[in-house]
Amino acid sequence: MRIQEHPILEFKRGRKVKFYFEDQEVWGYEGETIAAALHALGIWEYREGLKTGRARGLFCAIGHCSSCLMNVNGVPNTRICITPLKEGMIVKKQKPKGDLIEKV
Amino acid sequence: MRKYDVLVIGGGPAGISAALATAKKNLNVALFEEKEILGGQLIKQTHKFFGSKDESAGTRGIYIARKLINEVENNKNIDLYLNSMVMGYYEDGVITALVEGKMEKFLPKKVIIATGAFEKSLPFENNDLPGVFGAGAVQTLMNIYGVLPGKDVLMIGSGNIGLIVSYQLAQAGVNVKGIVEISEKIGGYLVHASKVRRLGIPIYTRHTIVKAIGEKKVKGAIIENIETKEKKEISCDVICLATGLMPLSDIINQIKCEMKYIPELGGYVPVRDENMKTSVENIFVAGDSAGIEEATAAMLEGELSGLYASYEITNIFDDRINKIKKRLKDLRKTSLKIVNGLKKLNLYTDFNVDSQEDLKELHRTGIPEIERISQITPKNSNRYAIMECFQKIPCNPCVSSCPTNAISMDSLNDIPKLDADKCIGCGNCVAVCPGLAIFVIDKQKESVLLPYEFLPIPEKGELVDVLDRSGNVLERNTVLNVRKMKDKTNLVEVKVSKENLKNVRHIRVVK
Repeated sequence: MRIQEHPILEFKRGRKVKFYFEDQEVWGYEGETIAAALHALGIWEYREGLKTGRARGLFCAIGHCSSCLMNVNGVPNTRICITPLKEGMIVKKQKPKGDLIEKV
Repeated sequence: MRKYDVLVIGGGPAGISAALATAKKNLNVALFEEKEILGGQLIKQTHKFFGSKDESAGTRGIYIARKLINEVENNKNIDLYLNSMVMGYYEDGVITALVEGKMEKFLPKKVIIATGAFEKSLPFENNDLPGVFGAGAVQTLMNIYGVLPGKDVLMIGSGNIGLIVSYQLAQAGVNVKGIVEISEKIGGYLVHASKVRRLGIPIYTRHTIVKAIGEKKVKGAIIENIETKEKKEISCDVICLATGLMPLSDIINQIKCEMKYIPELGGYVPVRDENMKTSVENIFVAGDSAGIEEATAAMLEGELSGLYASYEITNIFDDRINKIKKRLKDLRKTSLKIVNGLKKLNLYTDFNVDSQEDLKELHRTGIPEIERISQITPKNSNRYAIMECFQKIPCNPCVSSCPTNAISMDSLNDIPKLDADKCIGCGNCVAVCPGLAIFVIDKQKESVLLPYEFLPIPEKGELVDVLDRSGNVLERNTVLNVRKMKDKTNLVEVKVSKENLKNVRHIRVVK
């Protein structure tokens, strides 16, 4: 959900772009973080806990807690809270941990 | 290898101020910021800052940020490295950084570290559920990207961040279910507490969160009274943690600066001198990474570190160094915690803090008691300002806003006093007060003039609900006048029946 009107702030949003979350076509504004775009769509679950397999989501949003690591365009462990959204990005949940060696 | 006079790590208020101070001395500066945008936490601060005029008091953090960022972008002496992460420091003074995905080497004469802080978590059952967010994350979503963090938020922690973010959530249209505080007293400034209380947001002191409810997402929380052990279930989709910050010290540790554990400053902090120099030659710190404080102190420390680093390079001493040190002392005059922390660093050793009075009920509820209000209510005036500011805060914009010099303060940290005979009830102070703690009462007209920072803005003649200090609706009455202000703290004058004049502190539009 997005804020339409704010008593103090005006939001300068980029152009609307398509991207993919778990192979589904979704949308966000270019330049906002991937986390902001997913959150606005109501998608709060980004990966599974390493040992517990439990759902993990956003926590610090400044790129330091590792809670929102996802696979973006094939790159694992991407901090989606500080990665700007670009058109056509392929964003996938990390289960449970990103592998640096690409499996063909 | 790129050579610089000064390399600054972190593009928040401290880092920007450090970069600007050095660049103004005609030195070349590299400013590194890990994210794509400058400003750090400052670009999320929609509230007006306390302080004196010299530190942009009464100005919203976002406007201060805009001005600083603009200055950085237009300064030819600053090379800006956005989306760039500093990786490490080597013994020969080389800094490596990831710039646009590529490792680059830098050789600066001085390094200023202003990496800021990191949100502390809290142990409770299910605290890993999506929906348990740090207060900084909530602010980022809502105030930078315009994304609603959730529908119903439970805030944990009543420090300034907890109180301010609760107010901001309400401004964004989010329902704040309550603020949970383990201590018996509210942690943040009481004017901030009064602001959220008049919206009807409860503050549960002596309470803690014991459990988040939900499977894949937060659906609620269980809070507990720490004395009676009585539990209460609160339904919410977000649990916002505002339980403190700790310095982000990865690079400081890697450089092997001497560290000391000082709980008052947020945890492990680098040992530093009064000029912000660490134990390692040529390495400075500033802002929250030097110890958790707030943005005004961060900006001053940033400037101080920048000026001192410049002095070491140019050998020309700028007297502003001493001025900043004095300003920092003024600012810290009522901050017992910070000063106690600094004493552990052998700083401020002969500095005495003005003791903060225990403000009884006000400290526990955020609502000033009737007796306190009557003491400041003029007996013989028909139209007067009432300043519900009972706590020592380094803040004075009300004084200079008054056209008749009716408001006085002995020092920056004093409580403002009103000379009711001089007060003409113009409302200037209502508009500037960063704590939104001033109101103008008109006994003849039977009206209250109050600050209003919500949407929708009512029209003149419209019927609105008038609320008391706890957010209870007292009556429905007519808006007499609306003054729309440039800085968006609008002034609303509402008609109020005689018996409610003393109690009306907020309005709610009923459409």
